[in-house]
Amino acid sequence: MISPPNTPGSPAIEVKDMDFSYGKSMALKNIGLDIQRNEVTAFIGPSGCGKSTLLRCFNRMNDFIPGARVSRGGIWIGGIEIHSPEVDGVELRRRIGMVFQKSNPFPRSIYENVAYGPRILGENKKSVLDGIVEKALRGAALWDEVKDRLGESAYGLSGGQQQRLCIARATAVDPAIILMDEPCSALDPIATGRVEELIVGLKQNYTIVIVTHNMQQAARVSDRTAFFYLGELIEFDDTSKIFTNPAKSQTEAYISGRFG
Amino acid sequence: MQGAHILRDFDQAIDALRSEVITMAANTRHNLERAVRALLERNLELANAVIADDDEVDDAERKIDQLGMDVLVRFHPVATDLRLVVSSMKISMNLERISDHATNIAKRAKKMCQFSELPEIILIEPLYTLADHLLRDAISAYSDRNVTLGASLHLRDKELDRMHHVATETFGNRLEQSTRLSQEYIHLILVTRSLERVGDLAVNIGEDAVFLNSARDLRHTSDRTVDPAI
Repeated sequence: MISPPNTPGSPAIEVKDMDFSYGKSMALKNIGLDIQRNEVTAFIGPSGCGKSTLLRCFNRMNDFIPGARVSRGGIWIGGIEIHSPEVDGVELRRRIGMVFQKSNPFPRSIYENVAYGPRILGENKKSVLDGIVEKALRGAALWDEVKDRLGESAYGLSGGQQQRLCIARATAVDPAIILMDEPCSALDPIATGRVEELIVGLKQNYTIVIVTHNMQQAARVSDRTAFFYLGELIEFDDTSKIFTNPAKSQTEAYISGRFG
Repeated sequence: MQGAHILRDFDQAIDALRSEVITMAANTRHNLERAVRALLERNLELANAVIADDDEVDDAERKIDQLGMDVLVRFHPVATDLRLVVSSMKISMNLERISDHATNIAKRAKKMCQFSELPEIILIEPLYTLADHLLRDAISAYSDRNVTLGASLHLRDKELDRMHHVATETFGNRLEQSTRLSQEYIHLILVTRSLERVGDLAVNIGEDAVFLNSARDLRHTSDRTVDPAI
């Protein structure tokens, strides 16, 4: 069971000297970084730089891709290397929620979307589930918009509401970490604003890692930013430092729009 | 510094901003030079020209603010680009204030033309020369991206402060000795103060140039070491 220790200041995720390959093709080279708890960490970089691959390493989503493997180093969460035999992938993914680019609610009611995870984990008591659903929907700033139609299909919600529902669904199982893979790329600016506000609010209780192509979004919501290029971590620093005075010329070229 | 931007419009907007600041700086320096010359040569026509031309500098300040805001709104610049916009807008504000001092000197030059010439007026020239060099080097620090030059102005401004102190004391003594010429000496004291302020504003521009190129904020700090490699 992966449970980060309550040591103040210890990172939520530690990546050490990690190489990752898809078959013979190396996608990540010698990655080392610490994700601090209760912070938002943004991964930026051009398409194919490896940022989403690294994100998907954190909950071993890449396990489902044939030939994909960590070939050197590893990832430690709560002091345990997540590829070690004692770690169960399903349990790991319960502790690490994920929100995807396109909202993907289940074809069920709003209530059932949020109650699904806790039910799978064995919670069947209606009063407890009601409490979990309300708490998660309130946490995702969606409760006031849906409280009178919890029994209606989740497909009736707008795109932005569906994405916030997916965030509520991710938090309903009380994960320690939430991974977000371009969570706003399909949303309009107002819905994006709501989700961004939510991300900033959620870090009080969760550690958040977000992959984004929108650099203004990284600048707005994240505490730290990591820039990846061609499978390498080029620079990782406070977001304000990255966007005002990056140390590496490659970072500056990318964030300033002078790439290629 | 950097390669071409993905958007050609962005490079054009940034070039336009830099070019406008450099033109404004040249006009400001020209106004100061003519204002002091009008004073020393008792040239009424030149003084009037300086006063009239200050409007162009005011227009340039507004234009630079507009160009800067336009870049911020359209392109959301970051890192060096962001610092270029911020420092350009701040430099234009300092240049506008320098041009105001040139206008003040020109107005005093006009008034001084009504009185007989004072021999002590020659004390103004070395003050102007140093203030002008500080301004010239501050502009170069911005246009040539020279952090060492930008950071060096603070120390050289102390010499201008010293010269200002000596000149003010001299004019003050003459004022006490000759109440008949009190107005003339008061004008000269205020001209030296304007030149001393030009030095301070040049130091500000130098600090903005350092911020642009190295992200170091030298304001209100005693440690003014900068990395010339940047």
